Amino acid sequence: MSAIIQSGQAGIGLAGLVGRRVRLGLIRDRILLFAVLVGGWEVLSHTVVDPLWISRPSLIAERLVALAASGELWRNTQRTLLEAVLGLALAFAVGVPLGIAMARYKYGHAVAEPFIMALHSLPRVALAPLFIIWFGIDLFSKVMMAFSTVLFIFMLNVHEGLKTIDRDLLDLLRTMRAPRLYVTRKVLLPWIVPWLIASLKIGVGLALIGAVVGELIGSSAGLGWYIEKSAGRLDTTGVFAGLVLLMGIAVAGNLVVARIERRFSSWRPS
Amino acid sequence: MSPIVALRPEQPADPVSVVQPKIAIRHLSVDYPSPDGLPVRVLQDVSLDVAPGEFVAVVGPSGCGKSTLLRVLSGLLDPASGTAAIDGRGVADASDRIGFMFQRDTLLPWASVEDNILIGAELGPRRVDRARLGELIAFLKLKGFEKHRPHELSGGMRQRVSLGRLLAYEPEIFLMDEPFGALDSQTKAAMGRELLRIWSAHQRAVLFVTHDIEEAVTLADRVIVLSARPGRIRLDVQVDLDRPRDPKTLRRDPRFLSLVERVWGALDLQADL
Ligand SMILES: Nc1ncnc2c1ncn2[C@@H]1O[C@H](COP(=O)(O)OP(=O)(O)OP(=O)(O)O)[C@@H](O)[C@H]1O
Ligand SMILES: [Mg+2]
Repeated sequence: MSAIIQSGQAGIGLAGLVGRRVRLGLIRDRILLFAVLVGGWEVLSHTVVDPLWISRPSLIAERLVALAASGELWRNTQRTLLEAVLGLALAFAVGVPLGIAMARYKYGHAVAEPFIMALHSLPRVALAPLFIIWFGIDLFSKVMMAFSTVLFIFMLNVHEGLKTIDRDLLDLLRTMRAPRLYVTRKVLLPWIVPWLIASLKIGVGLALIGAVVGELIGSSAGLGWYIEKSAGRLDTTGVFAGLVLLMGIAVAGNLVVARIERRFSSWRPS
Repeated sequence: MSPIVALRPEQPADPVSVVQPKIAIRHLSVDYPSPDGLPVRVLQDVSLDVAPGEFVAVVGPSGCGKSTLLRVLSGLLDPASGTAAIDGRGVADASDRIGFMFQRDTLLPWASVEDNILIGAELGPRRVDRARLGELIAFLKLKGFEKHRPHELSGGMRQRVSLGRLLAYEPEIFLMDEPFGALDSQTKAAMGRELLRIWSAHQRAVLFVTHDIEEAVTLADRVIVLSARPGRIRLDVQVDLDRPRDPKTLRRDPRFLSLVERVWGALDLQADL
């Protein structure tokens, strides 16, 4: 898909025209598909299936408008977003240095590796009750949930990236007696950028999972909390409204990452 | 150096030279670990002096340890026995800037041609201003490619960028591992001329690995031929041709031809072994 879009931008003359036409067609067909799916859902809820189970797109839209008007929509969305973003940022800030340390101190890494992998394989969801005991029912426990789900992604990716670094580049700078800081700035950091972007791509979704799981287990605000509360009252419309908003956050997060990726995609390890 | 002599009393005394050599290699042997655990000997008892300002070319069959020799001299690799010294001090403590041009191009893949060349200037003795950078790029025939990244260049162009970085670093000792291997003969000759110009202006010691025997004889004061692995010095021949040398007339010079012949002979010898 991106290839099509790129050729549409880069092409001149006929190639450009064709690219643009393809792109417009793509957008049109996507809207069409969306309309068919939502329309089908609407029809289904009027005919075959009781809206008690699957709600109804028009009801969900109404609910979203009402939530927006009462300010509840923004309050809950903002809360979940904040938890996920803080967790992601914290995981970045802690995971990257840990990944670098793992690559740097090989023996220490060898000692710690089984424990790291054990923690990494632990389903992080199961930590939620503990985190609520430790960090309370408010924001912080959810941030820590998001953090713990994403941390290993950064750690392991940075470590992997540094392991594959071109030794000859480092050797060359060594023969030129480059200071360590210079090597870090000129080689190590640029080298791991693609790995950081890959981590970010996975991390956005995972941070959201961590935050929402924390909210489902115990909280007083957020989209997970709203979904849980609605489900408790068999209010499927409320559940779907929450899901739509979560999906919105996820899509927005992916768009941001795609932007970052485009900005840094000048280099890729071969 | 004395401990080595003490260790190996059966060796003949080292040649006594009046000037202290720039590079002094004494009974150098180098091993690499191999998959089966036993070390593989790559260089065997190599002794070699390079005088200040001397241009030495090294030829030898593939895999005989030429690159390994340069790695030892740059301090990247420790020998199994013997010593390598620069100005009488171990290579690790050498104060001279060593310009090592790797056999493989080692450019920063994300950096432009300009930025790659500037690495040399940033680590070298003085900053390179725009004008000089422009000159360097023009000389390297890289005009118009300043902003290109290595993956957008041909192999020969990448080699020229590496050469640019080396020159911007202003080395006091040149260790060059087949620096012109990927170039057409015309560009090769031009780069060789420029290298000679810099070399004769600054009297820098050069160790120049090549597979091109005529190139070796054209450029160097001395040609060293290494044997197949483990590399030992098979021939060490002085090239007493007048400078400046013109490659065009050199080709018909009987002294040049006989030197090329001798180097070929030393290389051929081991093909029969
Ligand atoms: N890092 C290494 N580990 C193990 N063996 C090595 C290593 N580097 C080189 N060797 C071995 O040492 C020998 C000499 O290698 P070297 O690169 O010095 O050869 P060379 O003379 O430069 O060859 P070429 O002309 O092909 O570049 C080779 O047989 C190679 O297999
Ligand atoms: Mg080599």
